[in-house]
Amino acid sequence: VTAPSPAAPGRWLPEPEAYRLLATYDLPVIAHRLATSPDEAAATAQELGFPVALKIVSPDIIHKSEVGGVVLNVPTPSEAAAAYTAILNRLTPAASRLTIHGVLVARMAPPGTEVILGMLRDPQFGPAVMAGLGGVFVELYQDVAFRLPPLTPPEARAMLLGLKAAPLLTGYRGQPPRDLDALARCASGVARIAAEHPEIQEMDLNPVLAYERGCMIVDAKILVR
Amino acid sequence: VAVVGASNAPEKYGYIILKNILDAGFAGSVYPVNPKAVEILGRPCTRSVGELPSGVDLAVIIIPAKAVPQAVADCGQRGIQAAIIISGGFAESGEEGAALQREVVEIARRFGVRVVGPNCQGVNNPHHGLCASWPLLTLKGDIAVISQSGTVGAALMDWASQEQLGCSSFVSMGNRSDVDESDLIDYFAQDSHTRAIAAYLEGVKDLVRFRAVATRCRKPIVILKSGRTLEGRRAAESHTRSLAGRDELYTALFRQLGIHRADTLEDLYDATKALAYLPRPRGRRVVTITSSGGSGILATDWAEWSGLTIAPLPGPVADSLRGILPPHCIVANPLDLTGDANAGLYRRVADATAPHFDYQVIIFGDPILQASEVVTPGSPQLVVFLGGADVERQERLRMHQKKVPVFPTPERGLRALARLYAFDEGAS
Repeated sequence: VTAPSPAAPGRWLPEPEAYRLLATYDLPVIAHRLATSPDEAAATAQELGFPVALKIVSPDIIHKSEVGGVVLNVPTPSEAAAAYTAILNRLTPAASRLTIHGVLVARMAPPGTEVILGMLRDPQFGPAVMAGLGGVFVELYQDVAFRLPPLTPPEARAMLLGLKAAPLLTGYRGQPPRDLDALARCASGVARIAAEHPEIQEMDLNPVLAYERGCMIVDAKILVR
Repeated sequence: VAVVGASNAPEKYGYIILKNILDAGFAGSVYPVNPKAVEILGRPCTRSVGELPSGVDLAVIIIPAKAVPQAVADCGQRGIQAAIIISGGFAESGEEGAALQREVVEIARRFGVRVVGPNCQGVNNPHHGLCASWPLLTLKGDIAVISQSGTVGAALMDWASQEQLGCSSFVSMGNRSDVDESDLIDYFAQDSHTRAIAAYLEGVKDLVRFRAVATRCRKPIVILKSGRTLEGRRAAESHTRSLAGRDELYTALFRQLGIHRADTLEDLYDATKALAYLPRPRGRRVVTITSSGGSGILATDWAEWSGLTIAPLPGPVADSLRGILPPHCIVANPLDLTGDANAGLYRRVADATAPHFDYQVIIFGDPILQASEVVTPGSPQLVVFLGGADVERQERLRMHQKKVPVFPTPERGLRALARLYAFDEGAS
């Protein structure tokens, strides 16, 4: 879990770096800050507003929750400080072998429809953008769509509407429709990033939470070579 | 045309291909080339490529792989600028063969010779009376077939010939050492005999060129791309990577280029047939006219699944149909003319409904004599014929001779019809 995969040469950007890149393309990223001490975690949480999530930031850890590196729904400054300490303690003794940048404190986003947006660079095809609906639809039914950049927002919209689970976005069983235009701009932004950053091999924005108005990226993995 | 490696042994391709070229009635001169024979199939033999008269356009090469580089060089020196290399023993057979193939390509480039193959089943162009391939098929039609597999392409052409539709051309690409699908799509895009292109591919050779030629091709392209299973997928850290087999990327590519993707060989045939011969629809409202209740319902299911609208008959149309139809017929869509339907009744009902719908689905579900008189070439009518035995077989051929495609089941017909709507959504 903590070793870089031999199948994917390159390095995963630390989450704050990934967010920074996404933000420069005007993609909506959850409010966050890196904390390097329990006190800083408490103060940052206070600033961002509760509840918050805390996540370990280490280039050596890809699956953060599997090593106990994630604590969600933290309601107070003191609990934020305690969560910081708890996360680092859980990594001991492995922590001595790992590069740890600190702990990301991020505002908890309100619940929304989970969407996954991704990109991968194929040696023959070049970059391809992927979209799917989160959770069971992607994992069990592999209900995803691919497009090769360039990808305009209208094309991205059509891509999302082509998913089998698209009714979950357009208003299923009386649910309000989700902001397809915001999601489409996001997917289109992923295509632009792919085109302008040939060093990026893979991206996984998972999940992107879709709301009636807007959407929010709450986790991002970016592999660079 | 020179046949290099022509043979007197009837089981050899050097004999079969020469015979097919002669039997297909090629209008130009045909030269068997063989150093040992005096005469093959009644034609005097030339001993070598160098001894051929000038003005030969094409060499069909059927000799052992090791002798092919020299033969290609001889062609170049003799001014022959096109070669079809049937012979195997090249890149498909290992590193030694691959080196030999590179040598052939290098020689061909140097002399400006374009090469189809090696390791291929040749080229058949009925419009030029040139069957440098097998089996012998000569019927002219509107569909061009491009194939990485000789058999798969020949099967398609065989079906089209059997059905009296014919093909505009069949090119077996073999190892694609030079001419590939991009060259051929570009060629058939300009070919006045071709209205739709069917291709069987295991992969695209040059994606950049492929995107360019497919983008400028204004004719429908249907591709059956094999190798769709997941063995190429890597287990990895990201969902995106684990979900992205090559196949998904081909799906994305074809879709973005407006290329129809077929799932089966039969689907490839049906889709290309529909796209070559059926006019583009104005809209999605269809009416089904049938003598078979069951077929009408099957067609309705497939129409619904394909996003077509089985719209109710407008009141005045229903009223006028009541005057035409026997009293036991239910005036609805699908319109079931019942088992006593004949061609005259079909024709009257087709005429009465045509102005009110975007497409007519006409299903002949019995031995309807003169069914071919009901349909009008070039009009928005999808024709299905089943359950008609000898009458069906005869009328289908008549309709195909009029260039009205006939499909054997409601499912295959409606799926093919749905191809005409495939890129309507603005999904690019």
